[in-house]
Formats: sequence, structure tokens, C-alpha cells
Amino acid sequence: MTIWSTTHRAMAMAWRSLIRQPTRASLGVLGVAAVGALLLDMLLLSQGLIVSMRDLLARTGYDVRVTATEDLPRNGPRLHDVQTTLATIAGLPAVRSALALRFVDGAVDLAAGMTVDVSLEGVTGQAPHPWTVLRGRDIHDSGEIVVNDSIATASGIAPGAELLLRADCGAGAESLPPSRLRVVGVAEFPFELANENTIGTTLDTATAACGSDGPEQANVILVTSADDPDAAVKAIRAARPDLGAATNEQVLGRVEQTGFTYFRQISSVLTTITLSFALLLIAVLLTVSVNQRLGEIAALRALGFSRSRVVADVLCESALIVGSGGLLSLPIGAVLAAFLDRILKRMPGIPSELHFFVFQPSALELHLALLAATALVAALYPMHIVARLPIASTLRDQIAE
Amino acid sequence: MNMNRTRTENVEARSVNDTIIEAQSISRVFQMPAGPVMAVRDVSLQVRSGDYIAVRGPSGCGKSTLLHMLGCVDTATSGVLLFSGSDVADLSDAARSLLRLRQIGFIFQRFFLLPMLTAWENVELPQSEAGIGKAERDRRTRELLDYVGLGARADHRPAQLSGGEMQRVAIARALANRPRLLLADEPTGELDEATGEQIASLLDHVNADGTALVVVTHNTTLAGRARRELMMRDGRVERETAR
Repeated sequence: MTIWSTTHRAMAMAWRSLIRQPTRASLGVLGVAAVGALLLDMLLLSQGLIVSMRDLLARTGYDVRVTATEDLPRNGPRLHDVQTTLATIAGLPAVRSALALRFVDGAVDLAAGMTVDVSLEGVTGQAPHPWTVLRGRDIHDSGEIVVNDSIATASGIAPGAELLLRADCGAGAESLPPSRLRVVGVAEFPFELANENTIGTTLDTATAACGSDGPEQANVILVTSADDPDAAVKAIRAARPDLGAATNEQVLGRVEQTGFTYFRQISSVLTTITLSFALLLIAVLLTVSVNQRLGEIAALRALGFSRSRVVADVLCESALIVGSGGLLSLPIGAVLAAFLDRILKRMPGIPSELHFFVFQPSALELHLALLAATALVAALYPMHIVARLPIASTLRDQIAE
Repeated sequence: MNMNRTRTENVEARSVNDTIIEAQSISRVFQMPAGPVMAVRDVSLQVRSGDYIAVRGPSGCGKSTLLHMLGCVDTATSGVLLFSGSDVADLSDAARSLLRLRQIGFIFQRFFLLPMLTAWENVELPQSEAGIGKAERDRRTRELLDYVGLGARADHRPAQLSGGEMQRVAIARALANRPRLLLADEPTGELDEATGEQIASLLDHVNADGTALVVVTHNTTLAGRARRELMMRDGRVERETAR
């Protein structure tokens, strides 16, 4: 007899044993489904931010970021003499294009006399701008801006309108005169925060808004490598050893170390607890079920069922409970993940395009592997009971009872 | 109905040396908290093809323990048990399981039918386990249920059957793989007198059709149908009567 036919028979028997107690089996399956859903969400959470951030970084089309130090863009000091630096980097054979970017905080006066805080992104260079124009056109000259939907909706402005920007560039910002800027388009910014008001413009416009006539500064230079981002980083470091250059993966590594590691730790702890609950639940269910059927199992052994066969029956019962619950856990987990994602994204400082729960095939594979391992481990004790069942004395005891 | 072999073949078979199982001075000791208990002492017994043996005796005299050893579900503490000439002690657990599956049938006082399966499925189960093909299983299961008079109740679950009907299904299940030896432990123990009589008649048929039968019973009427009767006391065969 083949393993397949033995497994098939054991599965069929396990299925009949389970539906014999439909309420108990249903509760078991639902329990596993709930636990499985949590497990899936914890697995999605453990890598979700990194995957989402990687996707976000890749979506901009830049694969290397150059900063003044090894700090993350916006956290460290600004790059000075940007045009020279940009020209040096853009001229490297390993670099296809480069774009300098400066972040400036400020406020704009809306028509209704209302003022809103804004984040200004000033760019220069030959690479595509780090935003996607939705309506109108992109900036071409100084004094032109694109605004995000949040500003366009709040102010009711459209391309062709003008805005007054008051930049906050640090000490003495209060005395800066407002800059009159012309809206030429509405754009989407990949890293904008939820409800954040973002403006895109040229670097000289941003510099002028800060009242500086000196050499332009930038927070980061975004680089698209010619082929290999690691080679581009190597070339940039060779050309400008005073600067920090990092590929997207290296940036992700830094982000992971500074903030995302908490999510991984939390998800690891919760995954362990969740699996422990699943283990206990299935082990108790199977142990009770087996103890109630000792006479039948002993009779089957007396009739010639092998030890491995009755053990396989128990394992198959466990697999059926976990398998059914595991399948059910996928849609539940997906709905729960979407719900939790919406809650977590309300945290301050989270880009609206960043997600905490991101589906990945590897998470699903790990989910299935962990559930399969749980089914096996949970069945170990009941399998031990069945394997060690003394046939004769069990039959005798059952008669005596 | 010819279930295994014809009566003529059966008689011919018995005329040669066709011992199915032979117990040579077997004993069984249980280690209990109060000290060892010898449930069976130095019992020697031969069961040949076509035999019908009843084992009687007071409760606790070792009848069921002897039956379990003959059925290879319990191991003798001392002595030798030969099945078709092979020492059962030399067999692995898997080999003993296979021996039980193909050569020995069991009937229990409490039937032990699987409640989630129909009568048909209960009878089909040991055949399926023995690897018999679907067509042959169907034919054999139909034949057996008709044989025990339950052809019309094949789709009923045990809960839908009476005690006598459940024991009939259990007999059909025990015969499923054409065993040479059928062991019954108090087969009428949970049945009323009239139903017990029906089961006893059915067992007569089974034996007449060539299957050796060892029945442990308190029922003197059932025991009276056997051709050999062993009376046990304190683990020993006190008396053997041949008819």
C-alpha cells in the first residue's frame, strides 16, 4: 500500500471523526482561524514597514541617496555648494542622473484668510522630479510651484492661482518677507504624510524663500545609478569622501535599526504567544477527543489497524483542524490587517503611502509553515497516547466501565 | 451461504494437521500496585481450522486475557504462542497488526462499531485497511451484510440499530477479511436472551462455514453450542469438555 492511499484513508477517517462532534470541531477551527489571522497579521507587520518603505523608495526611481553625513536625509546637516557637488556626482560614469532636494518648512496664506503649514521641496538637477503631476503641468522656472491635493482642496486653488509662502528656515525666520508663488500644477508626493500640505518647486525658489543669496544648500542628492547602485555609491564615495552615500537597501537598513525594529520585536513576541495559544487549543481538543475514543481505537488496533495508522489518524485530525482554520484565517487576517493598518497610519510622521501590513508571499509561506508545525507539535501528545495504548487492558477497562 | 470455504473443504482441511494457533504453557502476569497478579497460568491449547471453542469461568478467572493473547493483542509473560507455526513473540508490532488484520477477527461485548460510519462503512473498513480494491470491497460488504441479515440497513449508523443488529454488523466486520480465526469476547453479554440466541445461531453459521471460533462467555446456552468447552478458574484451565 502506498503512503498516498494510507494518508487518504487516514484523512477520510479523521474527517469522519471530526464531524462526529461538529460543535467541538467548529469551535476548534474557529479558534485556529482567529489565532491564524493574528499570526498572519504579526508576520505581515514584522516586515510590512520595510517592504512598504522599499517599495516607496523604488517608486521614486532613485536608488542612491547622498547626504552630508551618514544621517538619514532631513535629520543631519545640509549639503553645501550644491551645484558643484551635483555636477561632480552627475558626471560620474556610474551615475545616470542626479537631483538635489531641499526641505523647507513654512506656511501659506489661503484666500479665506486662513494660514496652513506647508512642507516645501526645492529641487535642482537633470533627473525627473520626485513627484507625479496629477493636474496642470510641472514646474519649469523660478517662482513656479506644484501643490499637493491637500492644499488644492483646502484652498480651492487651481493651476494659475498664486500663493503667499512664509518660509521658516531657522533663526530669524519671522522676519523673512513672504514669497509670491504661482501654482502651475497639482502633484502627488510619495513621501508626504497623511494630511500634510506639500509644495514642490525649484531649489532657487526654496533658497530665495529662505532669504539666502549665498550658495544653495540641499538636504539630499537623489541619484539614479547607471546600472548598479553599489557601484554608484562606490564611485561617489571615491569622488567625494566627505559625503555620505547609501543605496536604498542601506537606507532601509538604517531605518530598520533606528525605528522599525520595535515593530519586529513586538510582532515576534505576539507571534510566539499566538502560536502557543494555537498549540494549547489543538492539543487540548485532540487529547479530549482521543481520550473519549480509547475503546474504539483499541478495537481498531485489535482488528488489525497498525500503530502508525491510528497515529496517522490523529495527525490528520490535527492537520484538518489547523488546515481548515488556517484557510479561514487568511480572509480574516486580511480584513484585520487592513483595519489595523488604518489605525496605525494615524500615528504622526507616517507617510500616507507607507503601510504597516504588506502582503508578501514569504509571509504566507511562513504562516503556513508555522501552522503546519503547530499541527504537528500539538498532535504529539495525543499521538503518543494512541501509540502507547495497551490494546488488551484498554478493551478490558472499557468493558469494566 | 458459503462465506469462506465449503463444508466439505472444511472437513477435508481439518483432516490434516492444520493448527491455526497453539499455546504452549502460556502465562500472563500483571504487575499491580499490590503485587504481581497471575491472570493466566500455564495454559496449553490448540485451535484448529473449524474448531468451535467456548471458554467459561467466573469473572476474573483469565478468560478475556487468554482470548487477548490468542488474538495477539496481549503478550504472554511466559510460554510460547505459535500462529501457523510461527512464534508470535518474534513478530514486530506491525507484523502482529497485519496478522490480526488478515487472519483474526474480533467480536467485542460492546461492539465498538465506529459511530460516525454506517453499517456498510464499518464492514468495509477492515477491507479498505487490507488494501482490497473498491469493487471487491463492495461485493464482499454486500455479501456480508446479507449474510448477517442486515442488507436492508446498510446505510444505518450504529445509533440507528438495535444491540443485536450492532453485534451483527460487528460480526460482519470481523469476517470482512476472511479470517481463519474468530475471537468473541462475551458476544451476547449486552443482549437480551432472544437476541443473544440469534447471535449464537449466526456464530454457528460462521463456524459451519469454516471459520474457527473461540468464544469467551458466561452464557451456558452459547457455550453449549461449542464442540469444546474450557472451564477456567484462577487463570488455569480447570476442565476441558469435548462434544
